[in-house]
Amino acid sequence: MATKSERASSPDAAQPPGPGRFEEIYDANVVPIYRFIYARVGNAPDAEDLTAQVFMRAVEQLDTTRQNAQIVSWLYRVSQNAIADYWRAFYRLPVIGTDQVAPGWEPADTTEPAPASGGAQGSAAAGEERAKRQVASLLRRLPANYRRVLELRFIQRLTVAETADRMGITRSNAKVLQYRALRKAALVGEGADG
Amino acid sequence: MADVPREPPDEIEDAERFEQYLDALISGGRPSPDDVGSDQAEMARTAAELAAATSVSQSRARGADPDPAFIEQLRLRMRQADEGIASVQAPLPLRSAPARPPADAPSGLARVRISRRGLLQAGAGAAVGLAAGALGMATLRPGPTQRPLGGDSPLVKGEGFWQEVALLANVPPGSAIRFSTASFAGYVVNDGGQIRALSSVCTHMGCTLYYRPDWKDLRCPCHGASFDLKGQLANGRDRWRETGGYAGDASAYPVTLPALVRPEVKVEDGEIYVWTAQV
Repeated sequence: MATKSERASSPDAAQPPGPGRFEEIYDANVVPIYRFIYARVGNAPDAEDLTAQVFMRAVEQLDTTRQNAQIVSWLYRVSQNAIADYWRAFYRLPVIGTDQVAPGWEPADTTEPAPASGGAQGSAAAGEERAKRQVASLLRRLPANYRRVLELRFIQRLTVAETADRMGITRSNAKVLQYRALRKAALVGEGADG
Repeated sequence: MADVPREPPDEIEDAERFEQYLDALISGGRPSPDDVGSDQAEMARTAAELAAATSVSQSRARGADPDPAFIEQLRLRMRQADEGIASVQAPLPLRSAPARPPADAPSGLARVRISRRGLLQAGAGAAVGLAAGALGMATLRPGPTQRPLGGDSPLVKGEGFWQEVALLANVPPGSAIRFSTASFAGYVVNDGGQIRALSSVCTHMGCTLYYRPDWKDLRCPCHGASFDLKGQLANGRDRWRETGGYAGDASAYPVTLPALVRPEVKVEDGEIYVWTAQV
């Protein structure tokens, strides 16, 4: 995805408004924002919905005359709130609306480097590497049968039935095993953060 | 490996229910919070992040990178909204913080389980379609010459089998549900009680169509062709002449397109089956 040249966004120069300016912003940011969201919700339909929410909100509210760096940080902030609201539904917490910052409740990993101007390519590759390392390190810290069931389901993308066959256990056992594995993984993950 | 100890019954229930969430997540569908207890939310998040990370590592899995058709379609939506706002010089009263985007987003549709292989095929079609679509309206021309597949008779026959794709109860009149089989990606639509299966591949250049409940049509994000729920081009010049316009479009779709491919469908015991060619 092509990005604007550095010169076009010298630190103090506010961007002129006008037709096409919004689309410039869209082109430069839609893929990184989608990836940022996808990495936190794990499925394309929801990632698409949230990405659409962010940019539709941007059409309404974003001041396009601001500097690129400010715009990028605005987009990530709104994305983060949208993700927080998404997970609120799972935690049965009241949704507060993506335009307000959730006080005291933030997604666990909010330190995605916002690609201010460098373009999506490099940071995407780096993000992939980081994600791979995180998965490997998480799996390493689980007992062997937990690791195995998560590998079969997530990395090989097998169904429960196929996973059960591979492991020589019943489907019901496979479901319980993956359930326990994820419960453990969630604890391990928390431990790593804190 | 019989090292799973005996589970208390409610853990089995929890694990069963959580599998509903996992299955949707791993197959690329939309998982529902209803399958996740609030004490399992942390697990759901771990699973979501794991699914995202492993989908990145599997370059062939859909999801980590946005669907090009989605990017283009959102661009059009935003362009329209942007122009609307600019022309009024004031924020529009619409979108009072909707939890979900407007109903015409394809991602707002109910999704059914989709096989990974099917996704790959559908995704490849969309990518090819968009690459071609990038040529723009100026080069709009008929796709590969085909005999128009008109009429109202089921078309895809031959070697194959019935594949269950949706529950009838999930497809009320005027709605559409996306489905995918090993050889085919499409929509099951309910056209006033009549159930049909329609290909989701535009017959112009192969972009992936999305359903617009307001207009009850399948719309192409690339050049704006619309197909009605019989699979026929709905905004071509002929129809435009008959009805004097279409769905607020500025002009008729300039090219005559073949109808969408329609596999045979049957409804049995409240389930919808689509005839799927053997592959």
